[in-house]
Amino acid sequence: MEEGEGSNGGVFEGGLEVRVLVVDDSPVERRMVEGLLKKSGAMFQVIAVDSGKRAMEVLGLTDDKAEHPTVDEQSCRKPIPVIIMSSENEPHRISRCRAIGAEDFILKPLQTNDVLRLRSYARPTELSPRTGTKRKMTLELMAENSSSDRRPRLTGLAVS
Amino acid sequence: MSLMALREQLNGLVNSMFLEGLLDDQFEQLQMLQDESSPGFIAELITLFCGDSERILAELTKLLDQAVVDYQKVDAFVHQLKGSSSSVGAQHVKLACVQFRQFCEEHNKEGCLRALNVVKHEYYLLRGKFDTMLQLEQRIQAYESKQQI
Repeated sequence: MEEGEGSNGGVFEGGLEVRVLVVDDSPVERRMVEGLLKKSGAMFQVIAVDSGKRAMEVLGLTDDKAEHPTVDEQSCRKPIPVIIMSSENEPHRISRCRAIGAEDFILKPLQTNDVLRLRSYARPTELSPRTGTKRKMTLELMAENSSSDRRPRLTGLAVS
Repeated sequence: MSLMALREQLNGLVNSMFLEGLLDDQFEQLQMLQDESSPGFIAELITLFCGDSERILAELTKLLDQAVVDYQKVDAFVHQLKGSSSSVGAQHVKLACVQFRQFCEEHNKEGCLRALNVVKHEYYLLRGKFDTMLQLEQRIQAYESKQQI
């Protein structure tokens, strides 16, 4: 599943790095999720933001062309799996999130086994033409109510 | 006090907090995340939690002081506090928030004011114990870093 690319150092499993964008308005929860991710694997690189708006900026998906995306454009064109986190186990809302494209739903508070599950979402893309570089993938963990607009615009993130 | 005695005191404190229900299983997640690469994780989360909680409690006090209460805003803040207390294992605070949200839903100002007092009471009780916990942690870590020299 994880193809090695002979990356320098071999610290990460098969040279695969998974970048996770954590979106949550609570600083406590952001730090908690970051701690859980880092503990569960050296492969996880965490960027944490406090709103959906900020997430779009980081991904370079805003309308404003002047924004400098933090994530490189190449990886942005690949589909980014979105996983929703919420403290409320509401089936209707959960299925609505899935219907508009969320991969999965995790009930808060997050625990180690929840985070281990995330590794399965970091799927490699088709053959990367570049050799000798670490392949990066982005995963987005989004708290269900972290933007003022209650409906996450997930279709905007499924960019191929 | 010896290192062992300090550790015993800390364990005793944490255990009593579990027994009293001030902390729940989720706090064990925090303990598990503290290791050699993250020696101050518990202190960091607790400090974040306390700062954030006090900010929220101040906002709630202001909002409920208004003649006309914006229950949506109140609910949003209580929801946030419920979430963060849940994440760190602050069980009594979390439960008090659950009660609070009921009164929000009912647009019951009296109920909300009472609930806010309960949340404050639970929070400050917890905060006192967290302060002791952090002091003990600091002293233990000071000992441990000395031993490494």
